[in-house]
Amino acid sequence: MAFTASRRRMVGCAVSFGIVLCCPVATLGEDATIDRLLASQCAQCHGTDGYAVGDIDELAGERFKDLNEDMRDMQREDRPENIMDHQALGYTEEQIRRIAAYYAALPEHRSGEE
Amino acid sequence: MTSALEPVSRRRFVAGAGAAATALSLTRSAVAASKPRVIVVGGGFCGAPSAQYLRLWSDPQIEVPLVDLRPKHVSCVMSNLVLSGRLGLRRLTFDLRELTAKYGIDFVRDNAARVEGRTGRLRLENKGWLGYDRVVVSTGIEFERLPGWNSRVMPHAWIAGWQTGLLRKKLQAMPASGTFVMTVPKAPYRCPPGPYERACTIADYLGRKAGVLGARRSSGGTPKVVVLDANDGITAERETFTRAFEELYGDIIEYYPGVHVESADSAGLALETNLGTFTGDVVNVIPTHRGSGLARRSRLLADSHWAPVDPVTYESTLAESKGVHIIGDSQATGQPKSGHMANAQAKVCADAIIRSLSGQSPYTHERLANLTTNSACFSPITRDEASWLTAVFAYDLPSGQMKLVPGSLGEAGDWNSQSYEDMFTWSSNLFADTFG
Repeated sequence: MAFTASRRRMVGCAVSFGIVLCCPVATLGEDATIDRLLASQCAQCHGTDGYAVGDIDELAGERFKDLNEDMRDMQREDRPENIMDHQALGYTEEQIRRIAAYYAALPEHRSGEE
Repeated sequence: MTSALEPVSRRRFVAGAGAAATALSLTRSAVAASKPRVIVVGGGFCGAPSAQYLRLWSDPQIEVPLVDLRPKHVSCVMSNLVLSGRLGLRRLTFDLRELTAKYGIDFVRDNAARVEGRTGRLRLENKGWLGYDRVVVSTGIEFERLPGWNSRVMPHAWIAGWQTGLLRKKLQAMPASGTFVMTVPKAPYRCPPGPYERACTIADYLGRKAGVLGARRSSGGTPKVVVLDANDGITAERETFTRAFEELYGDIIEYYPGVHVESADSAGLALETNLGTFTGDVVNVIPTHRGSGLARRSRLLADSHWAPVDPVTYESTLAESKGVHIIGDSQATGQPKSGHMANAQAKVCADAIIRSLSGQSPYTHERLANLTTNSACFSPITRDEASWLTAVFAYDLPSGQMKLVPGSLGEAGDWNSQSYEDMFTWSSNLFADTFG
């Protein structure tokens, strides 16, 4: 049985938001499962799909601009001071963009939760 | 290079309908199943998320049996706090059967005897043969033999569970100004900062118990924590632990690098080493590690005693082991061995398997250019302060290895109460993402 990797996310994002331009997304044609795999590496600290437990930033449903800029700012710190400053240096600008786009496209709350 | 999976006849598991049922040894011509089957062996920090993400990311169109003899997994992560009395073991115990309800994973309570890569079957001790399309070996570590060592007398507490409870009891029972001797295994080993973290938490515990640390001071003797390190120096967070050993615990911790433990006298609570004999009231031996017993029996280990794998898929690179993936502590990619990292690898592996089973290559340029894992952890240094360590790894195409991304390696260099609190937040999320 074959099943296809999802390329639906980018289109779904545009359709569900109704406006393409307000939600900077990964370039159409990019493999969305790679965004998913990249973003999944944040889950160990920020929760599965960015739905965090406890006192740490949730990522799911956050604005793309905020997520992207926050990570880029951490990269530009003169002296990395904490775990995230160092983590941010582990990724390229392009990877940060893709991670931010992935989480921005997720609902702010898990289905069934407030 | 791995190409799209060739159609494979499914080998069905004949479940014992009652104790007398005999599982059949099935050949490749067996009846085809409706879904591909990926067996995950071991329900720890790589096995549990492997099973979850295989189901989550396949919509779910993969049958995932999770094999483990124990339905509950006890986390090594945070277990040093059990030794110091700051946490109970129950908080670190996770029931794997909850994964079944949430993700439709089939929990198979059995011991895996060996993987037969050539025929694509897993031998279970009780239920017989189980065919697979892929198998993920997530079975942790085994210890090298140490002559004279009895782990019931000299616990390792490096595979969490009853060993942790045993070592805790021994610590509670030891005299206030007694001597605790511990060994640090030769790298690579599970959780690089772990042994030094243990030395600190136990030094803090014993020091407070003896009244030489903390608010209540007494005139009793000073306890000793003797650290016998098989490595030439502290292997992780060197700056942090060197300062902690010297500044915080200078009167308690005695640190000896370059120590080779040759044998143990369990009855006499003594260790024979190249530096002489060390004795203690409590002796904690953490022997040299190697790949797990299942990996060894399945001939998945190289001469190095670790399993060589392709970090793009974690598939074994040994002949006759196609379709066998090894993740977590047993694999030999050079990435640090830790629960956080094991979880990271589980996702890479799950993604690779799903791609392969759906006819997509895990070796696309786009995937290789964006293949990352990371490690992060916090280490308690005192009763209510902690340090941290982190790193990001990325796939390097020319070498075919995961390499540390420059700038991403960082350590706290210090310890504080905010990090101690953050440690609980981090571990809560790690546990949730790992065990559901």
